[in-house]
Amino acid sequence: MLAELKELWRFRELLFSMVERELRIRYKNSFLGFFWSLLNPLFTVLVLTVVFKNFIGVTTPNLSAYILAAYLPFLFFQMAVLDSSQSILANVQLIKKIYFPREILPLAQVAANFVHLLLALLVFFVYLAVIYFRDPTIPTIQATSLYLPIILVINLALAVGLGLIVSALNAFYEDVKHIMTVLMYLLFFLCPIMYFSENVMAHSAARNDGGMLYVLYHLNPVAMLCTAYRKVLVAPQPVQLGDTTLPALPLEWGLLGVTAVVSAVALVLGYAVFNRLKWRFVERP
Amino acid sequence: MNEAAIRIAKLRKKFLLSHSGAGSLKTLFLWWQRRNFEWLEVLKGIDLEVRKGETVAVIGRNGAGKSTLLSLIARVYRPTSGEVAVEGRIAPLLELGAGFHPDLTGIENVLFNGVILGLTRREMRERLDAIIEFSELHKHIDAPVRTFSSGMLARLGFAVAVHVDADVLLVDEVLAVGDLEFERKCYARIAEFRAGGGSILFVSHDLESVRRVADRCVWLKSGLIEADGEPEEVTRRYAAAASVPTEGL
Repeated sequence: MLAELKELWRFRELLFSMVERELRIRYKNSFLGFFWSLLNPLFTVLVLTVVFKNFIGVTTPNLSAYILAAYLPFLFFQMAVLDSSQSILANVQLIKKIYFPREILPLAQVAANFVHLLLALLVFFVYLAVIYFRDPTIPTIQATSLYLPIILVINLALAVGLGLIVSALNAFYEDVKHIMTVLMYLLFFLCPIMYFSENVMAHSAARNDGGMLYVLYHLNPVAMLCTAYRKVLVAPQPVQLGDTTLPALPLEWGLLGVTAVVSAVALVLGYAVFNRLKWRFVERP
Repeated sequence: MNEAAIRIAKLRKKFLLSHSGAGSLKTLFLWWQRRNFEWLEVLKGIDLEVRKGETVAVIGRNGAGKSTLLSLIARVYRPTSGEVAVEGRIAPLLELGAGFHPDLTGIENVLFNGVILGLTRREMRERLDAIIEFSELHKHIDAPVRTFSSGMLARLGFAVAVHVDADVLLVDEVLAVGDLEFERKCYARIAEFRAGGGSILFVSHDLESVRRVADRCVWLKSGLIEADGEPEEVTRRYAAAASVPTEGL
């Protein structure tokens, strides 16, 4: 694997170019360019906020910021994995003709989506600042945002690891892409985006299981990442559930540590699987 | 000039053939249908050396393993056994702009193509003018390449390949595109490339051009080298064996 990494480093220029090309292609033919990629999460959050405030009666102030804080990273993860899954087959004509480390294809997809995430987070901070200037009583940008890089790195490792596996497998079994599409859709509901991790804890407490459900829930690395993003990006606040108020929970660093280990394993495993399969992409029977 | 640019020893390549086609999990679960697969040995032990500055033509019937040999040298395939060693940078001449993205402009594609061939973006930007000059596509270079004709794509592809300071050019029958004048320019450039110590390995069915361009000719027959030597002599034997007239095709 060390030799593979060395080779990848030798081709780093190609990776940068590939990411640049990816970003260009995506917005080449559209007038609003980058803003299209923001419109999707913004409209989603707008609809979710309206539904939750009015139909379900969630009273959390500034709910849209809480949804965004978890949904932007989720969207990155979803798009990175789904785009990766197509990356090998979409470029099969290219890799039949010319040599370069094949892992650059899925890596470029993950990286391009990561650039989106960073830009989207920038817009998110602007959004927080605007809200603050309109109403200074609403808690705004948190000092804990400094932890963001740690969470981003874990998230990136997980996305790269899964992206590598999925792209390699999809080259042989195109079902993988469809399976991943469904899984990502279901994963959305299993992550604290439309609700809070405090709701999960409340259910755990109601079952009297000593928080076991809460821990199990957060063994899902994507759910843990969503919780972590939300805890560091926006001020943890009590959640209203019917007549009871659920106290705000702190970020469980231990559980995040588990996610970090899972992500690191996914990264190493993903690269190993990819390297085992990559020479066979061009000679699929 | 006698150093080897490409050294191939005991090279073998097998492919897994399928009669049903893979590509879905169905084939994984229906594992007992594996007998539908069979191995096909395309190259059965090739020994070949191409020296620096040498131009070698590879001829042979369809399925003899010519393109497989080129792909193995380009590192697209990994050998089943044996060795391929190449000294320096390889530039495969891509057919009709494989590797060009239709929605990107000529310039963007040129830059990207150069980087795939192993140059940095900066080195490519320095060469951009020379490449555009060579391709004679000044007017179109800022348009998306989907608007290019096949001749224009071939010009651009060739222009990139000869400007990346390659040590070895791999050509798989692509020189036949483009008009007469551009073809002449290509041959002139190739002559320059050879004079500079570059090696060329090319596959062709055009025996006339093999005799004109190649220093040496290798005849591949069913995955083995049938003959290796003077183009004049080898093409004559090949033509006799295939019983086609030496003239024309």
